[in-house]
This record gives sequence, C-alpha cells and structure tokens, in this order.
Amino acid sequence: MNFGFDEDQKSLAHTVAQQLADFPSLIAPELTTAANDEVWRALTDLGLFALLVPERNDGVGLTMVDLALAVEALGAGLAPPLVVSTLLATDAIMRHGSDPQQRALLPRVAIGELKIAIALLEADSGYDVRTCRTTLTDESLHGEKILVAGAADADLLLVVASGNNGPVVVLVEPGAAGVTVQAHDDLDPTSGHCAIRFDRVKLDGDAVLGQAAPARAVERLLDVGATLYAGQLMGIAARMLDAAVDYAKTRVQFGQPIGAFQAIKHRCADMAVAVEAGRSAAYYAFWAVSHDAPDRARAASMAKAYCGDVGRHVCNETIQVHGGMGFTWELGLHRFLRRSKVIEHAFGDAAWHNERIVAETLAEMTGADDRNQNAA
Amino acid sequence: MDFAYTPAEEEFRKALRLWLVDALPQGWAETVFEPDDEDERAQFRLDWERKLHAGGWSGINWPKEYGGRGATLIERGIFAEEMARAGAPEGINIIGHNLAGTTILRHGTEAQKKRFLPAIISSDEVWCQGFSEPNAGSDLASVRTRAERHGDKFIVNGQKIWTSYAQYSQWCFALVRTDPDVPKHKGLSFLLIDMKSPGISIRPLRQISGESEFNETFFDDVEVPVENIVGDINDGWRIAMTTLAYERGPEDALGRQIRFKQELDRLLAILADQKRGDGFAIDDAETRQRLARSITEVEVMRLNSLRTFSKYLNGEERGPDASLLKLYWSHAAQRMYETALDALGPLAPLAGNDRQAAGGGRFQMSWLQSKAFTIYSGSSEIQRNIIGERMLGLPR
Repeated sequence: MNFGFDEDQKSLAHTVAQQLADFPSLIAPELTTAANDEVWRALTDLGLFALLVPERNDGVGLTMVDLALAVEALGAGLAPPLVVSTLLATDAIMRHGSDPQQRALLPRVAIGELKIAIALLEADSGYDVRTCRTTLTDESLHGEKILVAGAADADLLLVVASGNNGPVVVLVEPGAAGVTVQAHDDLDPTSGHCAIRFDRVKLDGDAVLGQAAPARAVERLLDVGATLYAGQLMGIAARMLDAAVDYAKTRVQFGQPIGAFQAIKHRCADMAVAVEAGRSAAYYAFWAVSHDAPDRARAASMAKAYCGDVGRHVCNETIQVHGGMGFTWELGLHRFLRRSKVIEHAFGDAAWHNERIVAETLAEMTGADDRNQNAA
Repeated sequence: MDFAYTPAEEEFRKALRLWLVDALPQGWAETVFEPDDEDERAQFRLDWERKLHAGGWSGINWPKEYGGRGATLIERGIFAEEMARAGAPEGINIIGHNLAGTTILRHGTEAQKKRFLPAIISSDEVWCQGFSEPNAGSDLASVRTRAERHGDKFIVNGQKIWTSYAQYSQWCFALVRTDPDVPKHKGLSFLLIDMKSPGISIRPLRQISGESEFNETFFDDVEVPVENIVGDINDGWRIAMTTLAYERGPEDALGRQIRFKQELDRLLAILADQKRGDGFAIDDAETRQRLARSITEVEVMRLNSLRTFSKYLNGEERGPDASLLKLYWSHAAQRMYETALDALGPLAPLAGNDRQAAGGGRFQMSWLQSKAFTIYSGSSEIQRNIIGERMLGLPR
C-alpha cells in the first residue's frame, strides 16, 4: 500500500496545468468561452482523451487513479466542463457499453473527436435518479433535463432516464429529431449550462448503456461523476488557498504583511487543513471507483459532500483574506467562486450525499451483523 | 497510489487477527469491559501491554536489535486497524511508545537505546512527559524548571504540569532549563528522569471529566546522572520538536481514529435502536446530516494518517504536517461528540450509571474528555501558527 502518487501521475497533472495556463482567458475576469475549442485541441494533442480508453480501443488503458491529479489540475485551471464530462462518459462506455458501442465510440473519444455531455438533472426531480421524470419507453425518449454542461458544443449526450425497469443511461445524438438545446442564464456562464428538451426522440435498439444491468451503469455514472467533481473542487480550493497565502504575504497594512496577523494566518492554516482533508477524501474515492471497491458509493459520496464544503469554505475565506480587492471583478476570484458553486451542486449536493453516506453505513452495519450471525 | 495491501501485508494482518482471538478476554467489549476504577483500569491497561509484548506485538516497527520486529509503517497502520476491529483495550504506555521511545530512537546514544527501548517495549517501564509548566504552556520554550550540573549529575528543581500517568510511570522525559542567560530556546536540555528519584512528588489534578489522569509533578533537588541527557546540553529544544512531531504524528492520529470509529459505530447502533416518538432517533434528518459529516471526518482522519505514513515511506521528513493531522482530528472529534449528545436529544444529559443513559453514559464522558483535544500537545492556536509559518511560509 502506498498513498503517494508516482512521477507519471504527477507529471501528467503538471502538463495539464501548463496547457491550461496557455489560455489566460480561462481564468480571466471576463466570462468567456472563446478559448474552449483551442483548449480542447491542446488537451487532445496531449493525449488526455486516450488515457482512459482501453488499449483494444486504441487508447492507453490508464485508471481513474492515474488521472486524479490531472482532474485537480482541470479544476484549478477552470477547464471547460466538457473535458471532465467526456472523461466521465469514457469511463461509463468503457465499463458498461456493449462491444459495438465501445468499438464505435471509444476510438473516436481517444482522438478527441467526441465531446460528450451528461444530462442528469431535472427541474423537479431532486438528485435521486429513481424520481427521474424523463422516460424511455418503446425506444422513445421524452422529458426535459437542466444544467447540462457544455451541451451546445457536445457531439454526444449521455442521458439518464427512467426505463421500463428502473433508471438507464442512454446515448443520444444532440442533432436527433426532437432534441432542443437552450442555454441557461446561470451563475457560471463559462460552464455552458443548457436545458435540453427531448420530445419523443426515437432511439435505436443499442442506445442504452449496459443492457444487461442498466441501473449499474447509472450508479457508476453517479459515483464516478461525484468523484471527478470532487477532484475538480480540490483543484479550485488548492488554487484559492495559494492565492490567499500569496496575498497575505504581500499585502501590507498596519506596517506589516497581513499574513503576520493571527486573524489572517489562522484562517489560512484552517484552509490548508481543509484542503488536505478534502484531498484525502477525494483520492480515496478515485481509488475506490478505479477498483470498483465494495465501498465505492460511500467513498464517492464522502468525497463529493466533503469537497463541496471545502470548496465553498476556501473560496469564501480567500475572498475575505483579499478584503476589498477580493470583491472586485478585476481580480477574478469570482471565476473560481462561480465554478466552485456550480460544481458543488452537480452530481449531488452535500445534503444528498450525506443522506447516502448514512444509509450506506447503516446498511453495511446490518450486513456485518448478519454475516456474523451466519458465521456463528 | 494504491490503497490495497500487498500479500505480505495481508499475511501480517492474518497473523495478528489470529493472535487477537485468543488474547482478548472472553466476552470482551460485549459483557467484559475496562474497570471503572482508575487504578484498576491502569493495571488492566498495563496487563494488556504486557500481553501484547508476550505475543511479540509491542513496539513492532522498532528495529529488532532493541526488541522490535522491524515492521513497516504500513504494518503499523494495519496493527492499528486490527486493534480497532477487535475493539482492543488501550495501552498505558502510549507516551513511552510514541514519544519517549521514538525520541530516544532518533536522538539517543547507543547506550540509551539499549537501556531504555527494550523496557518500553516490554512495558516494564511506563513513561510520562514533563514539558508543560504553570507558566509555560503554549510558550513552551519559556520553561523554568532548572537543571544545574554538579559533576556527573544534574540537580533538577521546578514544577511540571499536565503530566498524564505520572502516578503509574517509572520514567519521565523532561524539558529543563540548563542555561538561563541565553535566548529561551537555546538554554534548554532534554533529560530522562527516574521517577523513583528522591525529591519527586506528584499531586493529582482533577479534570473537567472528574478523572485524575493528569498530575502536577514537583522536582526538589532531584539528582539526574549526566548520561541521561538526550542530545547535547542546551540542544533540548530541537529534541523536543522531534518529540512533538511524533506526539502529533500519524501513529498517534491513527490510534485515536480507531477509538473514535468504535464510538461512532456504537453511537449509530444505539441511535438505530433508540425509540423516539413513532420512530427511532436515527430517523431525524438533521441528525443524519451531522452523523454523515462525522462518518466522513473520522474516515478522513484515517486517510490523512495513511497519506502521511506514505509520505514518510517515500522519503519525506517529519515536519509541520503533524500539526495538520492534530488540528484536524481534534476538532473533528469534538464535533463528533457534540453530534453524539445532540443526536441523543432528551437523553443527552443522562450520564454515568443512570439506568436510562445511552451506551452506559460513555458519550457524556467522552464529550467532557474531548474538550482537552484542542488544548493538549499544542493548542489549536499553536498548531495554526506552525502551519501558517512553517508550511505556508507566512511571516511571524
């Protein structure tokens, strides 16, 4: 057992961070998505989208653990959300797709040809997929999704819907007849959030992911999504902490750097503790989803709930440490605050995941009791 | 990064698990518990330490030449996990193992290692810590207990406070002033003091929990042979920083995490059985949110420790990261006990042996005890200074 990351994993993250740093508009105060296509090309050239794709489908065959630090870097660099949603979709297709689905899609994913968006949430369904109102009946998809990040630029949609026997993930072409994409007005316009209407969209027989056990594909999509989003939050939080510490070292008031005052120093120390704690939760979730560990669901929920709180805390505190400057548009902290907030509420918020953590823990305790009784 | 264990590590776990089955008292943690009486409890914990030693499970990650078994830090982590799984008792010589032994191992002479380490491993000698004084708490470097050299002896005079387990200890390591005329950090030395020495007296201090684990320890012309200094004269501050890094380190944090996990599991079981209105205490939505937070935080304590173990394994030095671990677990554990009492609702005040106290009143006692977590081994304010200045590089 070793919880440290190896040099390849660290160097991948470093390279991703450098690539993103080439596009200053990603983190500039103005809310623009002008660089998105170029960013996509740069990350494609880097080979990012081939990393998770198995070798048999022309990929590299790495695991989520290998990408954990790179996902932090994507978060810290405010990468277009389509990047992470495509990685998430890659995992879903690779783990649960049929042979033909994998052969048709994964080689194209590997060369950056497919931008994939995830349509999960609905305006009146909360986070629980069992109450999902978008339906798939007789190969026809009907309903409305909200907050689909990057939908307008996507080449493919992964849509969570209620099938005949429970929740399913379906593959939908955004250009299919009956699909209407409309941009939201929202906190983080650079996430490209859209509402999508599916008006009795006809799908072919092979549109469902994981035909044999479709609900498992949905569960994994949620767990991996929660994990990837937790990882991004930690990237944002770590970057904000750095910004707060740098400012505290250089900003002088009352004749000394404000970081010498315990009121500021201690806030920074608490942020540092929160960032490391959040990383512990996030890294474990990356490991648990990579290995499909028995506690995968709980690990993912812990990471998402916890890192959501850490992201919120560190963004708020960083603005406070910056004082009046922190509230200005020109400093650009609002970019991280906005992105952190929308990530916090995607793939389950803290309240939803907390409930899941308790349910999973109680179920495990009951299970352990039963096993002990059977053994006795 | 891999959170899975190697076959050798799994083998280690299996051997320990097998041993534990026979070693624990019949009915342990179900019908048999630690004695309530403090002195009996101390004896019980000492007996348990000796049993671990007899089985070869004491001081496992120390070198074989001093009686250890040369286990890795990961095996040390597995050891802690298995003790937790079995709900094993605490030892009484935690200060000997985690602080005295590790400091001597790092900075002691060969003669000191041979003299002291085996007796810590066997718990023939229990240790206490003489750092804090009434006027040197957070400002530890201002200790006033004097040690004056006379020939081959130091003569020690002064007072230490918060000396846990002094009444059960054979030895004490102490930070003392050997030069009053230099800046305060530079006139300190680290002495090993035999508690049987004439001139030592102990007065128990009662804590807010009602227990008297702490003491005041008085030194009145106590003679300490010069060979009992660790490191050089006036180099005690550096030695003490090692001790503190271990005191706040992942071994300590993981050991505590295990207790917290056990208590949290018991709390969940009790709340699931505790009737409230038409349902059970566990059904309350607000309670569930807070329990989830504590479940997560207790797991994060474990992961923080394991990540830190890995850093050391991969060659990084022990440093201010220990403060991060300590600051985290202390506040998380306090939150957990607050949650425990709130979750019990109207039953929260029922403590001790009241027949309706939940879990035998354990949560009320732990809640009281938890108030010390953010104060001892460096208050949270001191930990934040260390993290701010030494990890983040903020100005002093």
